[in-house]
Amino acid sequence: MKKLIDELQQTALQRETRRHFLHTCSTGLGAMALGSFLESCGFAGKAADNKASSIITPGNPNDSPMAVRSTQFPGKAKRVIYIHMAGSPSQLELFDYKPELVKYDGKDCPQELLTGKKFAFIRGVPKMLGPQGKFAQHGQSGAWVSDYLPHLQGVVDDITFLKAMHTDQFNHAPAQLLMHTGSARLGRPSIGSWVTYGLGSENDNLPGYIVLASGGKQPDAGKSVWGSGFLPSVYQGVQCRTDGDPVLYASDPVGMPRSLRGKTIEAISAINQQQYNDVKDPEILTRIAQYELAYRMQMSVPDSMDIKGEPQYILDMYGVDPNQGSFARNCLLARRLVERGVRFVQLFDWGWDTHGTSSDGSIDVGLHDKCRQSDQAVAALLKDLKQRGLLDDTLVVWGGEFGRTPMQENRDGQTLPFMGRDHHLDAFTVWIAGGGVKKGFSFGETDDIGYYGVKDKVHVHDLQATILHLLGFDHEKLTYQFQGRPFRLTDVAGKVVKPILA
Amino acid sequence: MQLKVTAFIGIGVGGALLLSSFFGLFGERVDFNTQVKPLLNKNCIACHGGVKKAGGFSVLFRHEAVAPTKSGKPAIVPGDADASEMIRRLTLEDHTERMPLEAAPLKPEDIALLRKWIDQGADWGDHWAYTRVEKPDVPLLGTFWSRLGLSENVEQKWVKNDIDHFTLQKMKEQSLPPSPEADRVTLLRRVSLDLTGLPPTEQEVANFSNDKSANAYEKAVDHLLASPAYGERWTALWLDLARYADTKGYERDTERKIWRYRDWVINAFNQDKPYSQFVVEQLAGDLLPNRTDAQLIATGFHRNTMTNDEGGTQDEEFRTAAVIDRVNTTWEVFQGTTFACVQCHSHPYDPFTHDEYYKYLAFFNNTRDEDVTTDTPTLRFFEDQDSVQVEALKTWLTTHHTQPKQAQGWVNFVRLTEPKINSHHFDQYINASLLDAKYFGVQDGGSTRIKTVNLTGINRFIMAVGTKAENAVLTVHQDSPTGPSLLTIPVLNTGNKGKDTVMVCALPQITGQHPVYLTLSNPKQPKEWVQIKWVSFRPALPGTSATTLGDMDTKLQAILNAKPESTPVLVEATGDMVRKTHVFERGNWLVRGKQVQPDVPKSLPLLPTDSMGKTVPRNRLGLAQWMVQREHPLTARVAVNRFWEQLFGTGLVETVEDMGTQGIQPTHRELLDYLAAEFMDTDHWSMKQLLKRIVTSATYRQQSVASPELIAKDPFNTWLARGPRVRLTAEQVRDQALAVSGLLSHKRLGPSVKPIQPDGIWQSPYNGESWKRSEGEDQYRRAIYTYWKRTAPYPSMTTFDSPSREFCQVRRIRTNTPLQALVTLNDPVFIESAQSLAMLMQQRGKTPEQQIRAGFRQVTQRDASPQKIAVLLKLYQQSATYYEQHPADTQAFLGGTDATPQVAALTVTANTLLNLDETITKE
Repeated sequence: MKKLIDELQQTALQRETRRHFLHTCSTGLGAMALGSFLESCGFAGKAADNKASSIITPGNPNDSPMAVRSTQFPGKAKRVIYIHMAGSPSQLELFDYKPELVKYDGKDCPQELLTGKKFAFIRGVPKMLGPQGKFAQHGQSGAWVSDYLPHLQGVVDDITFLKAMHTDQFNHAPAQLLMHTGSARLGRPSIGSWVTYGLGSENDNLPGYIVLASGGKQPDAGKSVWGSGFLPSVYQGVQCRTDGDPVLYASDPVGMPRSLRGKTIEAISAINQQQYNDVKDPEILTRIAQYELAYRMQMSVPDSMDIKGEPQYILDMYGVDPNQGSFARNCLLARRLVERGVRFVQLFDWGWDTHGTSSDGSIDVGLHDKCRQSDQAVAALLKDLKQRGLLDDTLVVWGGEFGRTPMQENRDGQTLPFMGRDHHLDAFTVWIAGGGVKKGFSFGETDDIGYYGVKDKVHVHDLQATILHLLGFDHEKLTYQFQGRPFRLTDVAGKVVKPILA
Repeated sequence: MQLKVTAFIGIGVGGALLLSSFFGLFGERVDFNTQVKPLLNKNCIACHGGVKKAGGFSVLFRHEAVAPTKSGKPAIVPGDADASEMIRRLTLEDHTERMPLEAAPLKPEDIALLRKWIDQGADWGDHWAYTRVEKPDVPLLGTFWSRLGLSENVEQKWVKNDIDHFTLQKMKEQSLPPSPEADRVTLLRRVSLDLTGLPPTEQEVANFSNDKSANAYEKAVDHLLASPAYGERWTALWLDLARYADTKGYERDTERKIWRYRDWVINAFNQDKPYSQFVVEQLAGDLLPNRTDAQLIATGFHRNTMTNDEGGTQDEEFRTAAVIDRVNTTWEVFQGTTFACVQCHSHPYDPFTHDEYYKYLAFFNNTRDEDVTTDTPTLRFFEDQDSVQVEALKTWLTTHHTQPKQAQGWVNFVRLTEPKINSHHFDQYINASLLDAKYFGVQDGGSTRIKTVNLTGINRFIMAVGTKAENAVLTVHQDSPTGPSLLTIPVLNTGNKGKDTVMVCALPQITGQHPVYLTLSNPKQPKEWVQIKWVSFRPALPGTSATTLGDMDTKLQAILNAKPESTPVLVEATGDMVRKTHVFERGNWLVRGKQVQPDVPKSLPLLPTDSMGKTVPRNRLGLAQWMVQREHPLTARVAVNRFWEQLFGTGLVETVEDMGTQGIQPTHRELLDYLAAEFMDTDHWSMKQLLKRIVTSATYRQQSVASPELIAKDPFNTWLARGPRVRLTAEQVRDQALAVSGLLSHKRLGPSVKPIQPDGIWQSPYNGESWKRSEGEDQYRRAIYTYWKRTAPYPSMTTFDSPSREFCQVRRIRTNTPLQALVTLNDPVFIESAQSLAMLMQQRGKTPEQQIRAGFRQVTQRDASPQKIAVLLKLYQQSATYYEQHPADTQAFLGGTDATPQVAALTVTANTLLNLDETITKE
């Protein structure tokens, strides 16, 4: 069968993809001979080493949309684990220490902070709310982290904090979309799709882009935050589920043993091969290969998702109960997946929206719980990646979709039963660690009450440009032609945050 | 290529310069569209076009290109290439000045071409797709003698209709011979899947195979076009374009009942509604004179835009987003033009300006929907006692000699609850708030303003209100919160502020425009909210007292409080409610530029006039009529191209969504124009006639089997020297499996259904809706009836490339992935189909071999080769052996009473049959 796959010819998709690659590169580079043309665009496959076969020739097995492609320039990071705390954790309780805010605690918010501002829920004049965490500096780098995150305190010297992040959107779904697709409206490809489109996959038996969700709910913006938008659907994130089949329909029907599934695949391939001999449509060969990949994925996906083989000390390190789906387990799975060559692992954890309307949704109770459930695992993930030598070329990003106000929320003008903060777009913290970023570094500052960034502000598009840069892409050149114009992740904005590069 | 060419530039340029002047005077005329425009688009327009005009120079329009640039003189001097700065800059040695900047220089022959074009006068031409559709001459085939019928000719024997003349001419240019006709069964399967989305039945195969008449195929086509399954198949395509879904989208993504629109589309296809009418009713059915309910339902096309119910979102932002989506969708679907970029700036490549976008948007910016959670306005369908009440109201209106227009106004009010003022428009809040950024809420002592109301002739104040306060009293004041009190309303305790009731109240006689204020008194429960969803100011019903409420008011209130089924529709704003449209600076809805009036782009025909010479109204109806007039260059071209794409897998213009200058050039431009002209002039926009024309061509009927040489010469079948061979769509993959296994329900129309779906697909935050599996035959309906949730579409649909329907997607890009294999191998729908198919196989043969033959035939309609039977038989035997040894697995695999090893083995075989390439491919 190997031979068949080697014979694998162009599919319509590959043609589509290639056309867009060509388009991507056509400006500025002119029309060079196609082989080197693609190579210089960073889209030559493994075949680039093997000059005998031109990229354009139908029948090149390395021209699959998932073939490993080299980047536009050498990137420091080869893969990404993006941890998104959906709902948005409060930076003022965790990282952005504001002693001044203590003084204003319980006082009416000055009018000048409210004039011309729109909030999701705050109405009228809210009261200021001092930080609820106890802050101290940690590590050699002296990073401020509160007692909400005791485990993270121990790994701050591997992290760069971006403390003056800002966004354009103060509602969850649009803000999550902006964070992951570069646009607040639906329909654009997610960053993981862009990365997979640009880099291909390193593992033939697993999807290149895998999503794991915890917290009981999907992110507010739904699957669009890992959708492929207008990119071909092979680049969309594959959500591995924590209950039931990790990948939909990966399990054979009850009562059908693996051996028989293998025999059906053999029969399907044999008949398809006969059909190919008769009609010569190269698409049939692709189908044969995809069925065989499906068969392998049926084993490899559950295998990579099965943590039973992990030693007890690793389970303890992450704080994982092997019989239960949890954020901690997803962190461990993320490590297993990047180890196996998955390009982009996206973790979503729902439940960080702390308005103060309920115990769970508050910064005095709920936020503590969310931190307790995640802190140890996040720190363990960094340590584990480091001890395996993976942190050098794996990028870990942690953050929400926006920040939270220094004011206590007063939804509909009322006093709420718990402490909470409203959505805030002008200041929040994201941290980033591993492949190519500085260790033990803090970038950006907010004002005395953490309301606005005052120094080294980083917009969502800048973060995206930086992630792509670390992977070896110029965010302005990783484009795709759609609706009559080239689109890119960062839309028409974005600057690489150079000072945080190692 | 370019690298080598660069090496020759030194030698090339000088010679080319000399030659170009020579050709400029004596050579053939340069064609702007095919020769010059592509060069400008590729090399110049990014900096000198609709977005940027570097140096004050643009090559988008001729008047811009020949105008003085920043330097004071024009860069193109028509008739004089030597005096044209553009040519000088293209040929400079100095890299800092030579154009294009920071890019390879143009090839000498390209520069020569541009010189020649300027020397000939630098004529501009309209892009082919923007010129009127003229029917081209049909290419002649054969020889002089054969055309006279005096000799035999192989070409003439092959062709079936005019289409083939065009395709054969292209094949000859490529030295590709056409393929012979596909065998009868393959052809019938192909055309059945294409026209009805379902494989032919056994009976249909037998009928066609046994029909020896010359027009047997034509009869089969007519039979398929007449089948109700036809409308369902083409609706599947249209729902992507209409971005149809059963939910509203965005974060909450709650249910929207708009399936009546889907049913309208099915019926429209089945009735063969002319495409022109099909377009007009969807865009402007509400504005047609004496409109029917069906025509109103048709406007659901543009009510499929998403609405955002997330707390804190601004209705106006998302209303605007919906209007913009309507504009972009209208252009993509009906005009094959990507218009979205003009939202922010003039079109970079095509002749549309920034202002024209907003003039066009003005057509759509005057409907009453405002991103309100209730999805209002909706058309309400009264039933039982409610409909008796409505009839009684109509009778009352008739017996009281109401003016027809006024009577219609009342009927509209109860059917559509319009016109009304949504409470998010209230302002000047005191002790009040827009609760959850959705509806107005007020507490004790609070007040608000309704900016201005014309109270002349108004005697009824109607309001949808809810509260759990006991004794709240709302007062309506004229002119100020302390102004004259017009009306005092004790607000009914509805148990919950979100649960509203409609109250009809009498207002005293006032004249003129006034601000109206509402104040609330509720001293005993000062923190309790009273929430208002909408208010309406209306005259009293004819024949009722102006100042006191009577029996008819009670009845009216009861009708307004009825909760019948309803469907979202477009309703045009009139009178005080007419909306103004402004240009949004750089596409930002918050930055409003100048006001604009509705109009169509200048590079396309003007709005048409009627027989009296009067221009059509400047509203959506006029726009729709403009679109379907004979003069419009795009509508018919785009439609025929789409139908072609559905049948052949690729359009004559591959970029179905873009026929503009950046789209891919047509492979058969004359054929496209021929089909468009015939569609309008001969078929009178009949979609069935158009489809019949295409599927009866020899081009369509060719076998899809290809030689390796043909594949090598034309890998993507661009030149149509073989039949189409394309994987089935998501809908077809499911429908076919159900059909061939005997499970498919033929129940048509009605609310969407929920067939089996794995747990955990639906996980919307803040939304308790769950997937409750439908019962009985509703589990086995065609895919178009499957409930479509935008944030979590039915998994097998998206795996097979269907879009999420958040936005219009004109083209599905076909992929071939392992996840698709997992669906057809393991999705319970396909396992159940395999089980059902196994039972059919068992009935149709005594021996396993006979059963397998029958199964293969059932699935593909044709007989399997001995080699394929051998493979399947071996699989059957291996499976039977396994299940004989593992009775528990047999039971688990099949359940039920027929759990024998033989049936289990047949089920494994059937599962294999449903996964064959030839099964999921249209051959």
